[in-house]
Amino acid sequence: MTRTARSGRRLAAIAATVAVLATAACSAPVQNKGDDSAAGGATSMLIAADNGSPTFDRNFNPYSSGKRNTTTYMYEPLVIINEMSGEETPWLATGYEQPDAKTVVFTIRDGVKWSDGEPLTAEDVKYSFDLVKKHPEMDLKGAWSHLKSVEVDGKTVVAHLQDEDVPAAKILAQQLIVPEHIWSEVKDPVTFTNEEPVGSGPYTLDEFTPNQYTLTKNETYWQADKVAVEELVQPAANSELDIVNNGYDWAYAFMSDVDDTWVKADPENNTYWFPAGAAISLIPNMTKAPYDNVDFREGIALALDKQVIADKAEQGYVDRASQTGLMLPNQEAILDTSIPNQGYVDQDTDAALASFEKAGYTKKGEKLVDSSGKPLKITITTPNGWSDWLQGVEQVKSQLTAIGIDVTVVQPQAAAYQKELRTGDFDMIMGTVGGTGQPFQDYNGLMGSEFRLDIGKTASGNFGRFESAEADDLLAELKVTTDEAKQLEITHQLEQITYEQLPMIALFYGGSWGLFSNKNFTGWPSADDPYASPKTWDSTPLLILTHLKPAQG
Amino acid sequence: MADTTADPTTTATPAIADPESARGAESVNGPRRPARTRLGRTGQVLGRAFATVWANPKARVGLVILGMFVLMAIFAPLLAPYSPHDDSFGRNEPGSAAHWLGTTGAGEDVLSQVIYGARVSLLVGFVAGGLSTVVAVVIGLSWGYLRGWGNDVVNFLVNLFLVMPGLPLMIIIAAYLQNGGLPMIILVVVITGWAWGARVLRSQTQSLRSRDFVTAAIFSGESSARVVFREILPNMTSMIAGSFFGAATSAVLAESGLSFLGLGDMATVSWGSMIFWAQNSMAILTGQWILLFAPGLCIALLATSMTLVNFGVDGLSNPRLREGTGR
Amino acid sequence: MRYALRKLGLLVLTLWAAVTLNFVIPRLMPGSPADAAIAKLAQNGPVTPSVQAAIEAQLGVPGGSIWDQYVTYLNNVIHLDFGVSYTFFPQQVSELVAGALPWTLIMVGAVTVIAFVLGTLIGIGAAWKRGTWMDSLPTVAGSFLSAFPYFWTALLIVFFLGYVLGWFPTSGAYSATAVPNLSWEFLGDVLYHAALPAITILITSLGGWILGMRNTMINTLGDDYVTFAEANGLRGRTVAIRYAARNAILPNLTGFGMALGGVVGGSLLVEQVFAYPGVGYLLFNAVTNQDFPLMQALFLMITVSVLLANFLVEILYGVLDPRTRR
Repeated sequence: MTRTARSGRRLAAIAATVAVLATAACSAPVQNKGDDSAAGGATSMLIAADNGSPTFDRNFNPYSSGKRNTTTYMYEPLVIINEMSGEETPWLATGYEQPDAKTVVFTIRDGVKWSDGEPLTAEDVKYSFDLVKKHPEMDLKGAWSHLKSVEVDGKTVVAHLQDEDVPAAKILAQQLIVPEHIWSEVKDPVTFTNEEPVGSGPYTLDEFTPNQYTLTKNETYWQADKVAVEELVQPAANSELDIVNNGYDWAYAFMSDVDDTWVKADPENNTYWFPAGAAISLIPNMTKAPYDNVDFREGIALALDKQVIADKAEQGYVDRASQTGLMLPNQEAILDTSIPNQGYVDQDTDAALASFEKAGYTKKGEKLVDSSGKPLKITITTPNGWSDWLQGVEQVKSQLTAIGIDVTVVQPQAAAYQKELRTGDFDMIMGTVGGTGQPFQDYNGLMGSEFRLDIGKTASGNFGRFESAEADDLLAELKVTTDEAKQLEITHQLEQITYEQLPMIALFYGGSWGLFSNKNFTGWPSADDPYASPKTWDSTPLLILTHLKPAQG
Repeated sequence: MADTTADPTTTATPAIADPESARGAESVNGPRRPARTRLGRTGQVLGRAFATVWANPKARVGLVILGMFVLMAIFAPLLAPYSPHDDSFGRNEPGSAAHWLGTTGAGEDVLSQVIYGARVSLLVGFVAGGLSTVVAVVIGLSWGYLRGWGNDVVNFLVNLFLVMPGLPLMIIIAAYLQNGGLPMIILVVVITGWAWGARVLRSQTQSLRSRDFVTAAIFSGESSARVVFREILPNMTSMIAGSFFGAATSAVLAESGLSFLGLGDMATVSWGSMIFWAQNSMAILTGQWILLFAPGLCIALLATSMTLVNFGVDGLSNPRLREGTGR
Repeated sequence: MRYALRKLGLLVLTLWAAVTLNFVIPRLMPGSPADAAIAKLAQNGPVTPSVQAAIEAQLGVPGGSIWDQYVTYLNNVIHLDFGVSYTFFPQQVSELVAGALPWTLIMVGAVTVIAFVLGTLIGIGAAWKRGTWMDSLPTVAGSFLSAFPYFWTALLIVFFLGYVLGWFPTSGAYSATAVPNLSWEFLGDVLYHAALPAITILITSLGGWILGMRNTMINTLGDDYVTFAEANGLRGRTVAIRYAARNAILPNLTGFGMALGGVVGGSLLVEQVFAYPGVGYLLFNAVTNQDFPLMQALFLMITVSVLLANFLVEILYGVLDPRTRR
């Protein structure tokens, strides 16, 4: 799937140092844009949206986990959801309605053409849903865990749901649509690599080599007038060092000392925006003592100075996270203002000790001990090689040690970590919480009893095995309510529960590492105009690509 | 100069250098000596062995470097200006009076980390090198001496371990033995590292097997095990020492490689993990090239010192390899 | 003949054991391919339960009991069918390996042969001229260079030759815009890109061959038959090449057999640093992503080549040195 900042950092770390050195001096003909691209005149854009490993496979199947990141610049969804705020932008659908909690009706946009000239119809939409029903391994958005059937009614597509399931609309809306006239000819769509993609999006595939490919503007695009960039150039090698030295226009990468590296490379034009993503949290195993004790969890939360942890882990690029589970400030609109201090839990050693005492741990000398005098020992699991998390955990360890807890940090390899997370094989484990911008999704994944499985069984949510009848009732209600005011009210209550019951201990926000250059194009998302996440995969880049303007030179 | 030191040692260590006469005859006919004198003799032999190694100029350089690293590791708390984990300094600072080699991306003192890093590298080198040498000696010698199907079985085992690709195998074992920290790395290095030494020792055993003194021992009715460990083993001291230093060298390199790939214990300060963190914080981009250079140079110097010592060790039982001896 | 047959039987047995180990070892790793893929996604942000389900359906948990899997695996190995890669889904493993192998063979394989030949020759020279600077220079330099960690040497080479001097490109197997073909121009591009990784391997592996050859050579030079040959008035060079070197090369040859087979595994770090699209890089990807099919194929390829190389060397040994046949 998508190459991530962190894995990029880890795996490409080696190539990284090398590459900067390399590219600064040597004349690797990666660039298509040399000195001719004086400010304002360029129509081509160099992006680091996709990483070769080390070269590119030609896979543009939008339903494949191994697809090229830019596949989503060619295939579009019905609605684009900005996961930072939950804001929706109608796309291939002009909108959708929920006449009742079991039905979603999408109105399909008129005048949209596939890049081969054929019109995009409601039939294509139905076909795309049915295709992933037939091949569940292609159902990357999970549409059919909600859907019962899909039918076409003129220009609309009616989705019948399995149950009363209001939040499902947002999941269905993100389904990528493919042309039936092409895909119905494909023998095995699962292993189809779609080397000559025909899509509806703003770009089509131009040249492809294993080391670099280019996308050119789709002149028949339904909002072609909004697309200012004529060509996207995507090299396979784009380590952090390449990015700094090669004059990229848009890159997604964690950049050490960004002011001293990326910005310094072109102080006039280079900017960055690292908005908050899902909260990186400590997930306690709530089937075990003492982690099942809310006082104990509160003690841990109070014992930590989360801003210091955030600074150590992410070099001061992100802030501590709110214990409500929301991504602030982007989700401020749905924050319950009655929660003190926006849900930020400040470090308070005395209060922490008081909480630990309620949980049965008292201070004896330098150590916290239980009633039998045994010192408190906890183990924190974090994946090996995710260096920023490790730095955060090391800080957690030193802060908890200071209050008198023996902390052991274990670092299994990523896959083993994932297995331990899912099967509940941990005391406390690092994990991401929330982040879809959809309250039902986020809180259900955090606390929903539907995901709570016995220890040893592979869960796909609620990894801490949190149990709360109150939360379950609220989630069930949120699932069937179409009334927006009611939705907000329930969301507030879920925030309260998260804040008070601590199903996780929120530490800091995972960042989205957007690096932009204003040299050739302007209109990038920013803190002042947070219309999209800076990420380069999934559908939100379409918002950016239709938002950019040529720079005034 | 080398000539003069070489001569007396040759005659002074007959047990090692001239097995056919002294050792063979003694074991076959001579009575067992009392333990105390044997111990004293061992000390004497060791001293002479050291003198022989020291006589070799290359080995002398190696011993000095190695000694310096050992001292650095032992006295790290005294030598290092700060704790290697103290991250309270500014990030990515260049060299200054307070931080001679600057600070890391996390705000730790580079010099302190380099000094403490010696501990991990030496520990892994010596322990892993020692263990894999023991395994190599036991298996290599029995293999070289055994005939028939026994030989084939050992041959089969060693081949199996030799053909499994080392580094990838290490990565997999490291993934399997997660959370082990240093003992895990040592174990991984031993598992993947003993086979080579065993093979080398086998060849030597095979060639010694046909020597007269072994034949003599066999005819006098000694057991196979005794022949192998009493007659053949002492004649391979230098080879064993050599394979120890060889194994230690590759253990040091393996540890650094694993750490560099991010598969070691990243919270431990070792030279390999320093390079990992340097890469991770893009040290070159932020002008911290010394972060990358210093630990790498230390690894190279440590490994070189052991290779150099090996030149002297080679001369122990094999006067032909002694420095300056003409043909 | 019996000697060869016994070795052949042993070869087949070892082959089977290696193939079985290839099956077992990857499965000892904790976590499934789906776990690895989800973890990779989780670095980006939340992975919703439905996405996890889809990934599990796509990558799956290998079906059937372990025994069934093993039988299927053996059958596939015999037919050289390794299935579909998890990491690079839906690419065929055989295609991936076929795509990566040439780069490694050309670059790493050729350099290993060069390093062996060069190192052996220098070793012979050093032993012959021992005690002079022609001995000490290559031996000391060789031991210093071979002590460099692979990846570190690679970084230094890149720094000086790639960055400071700017002579060579530092990543990839050929230029970004080049399309692989059989023209001289492309060949030149490939050689140009192979330069730095090749130099790295040459530098770090040369020392070992020099030292090994020098030491065995010095040993043989002292043997009776060499002295005898010299006493008989044969010319020095004839003695060195005809008598001493021919015998001394045997142990080095063993090492060469091993090294040639180990080329693939050994190139891992170097290919990592240079983002060289060879087998080493592929292997690292496979291992870190729990890509069982890809891992199995690569391990098998490596073990088979090492085994074959060893087998040939042993046969050769038997021919050259009749004593070992006993």
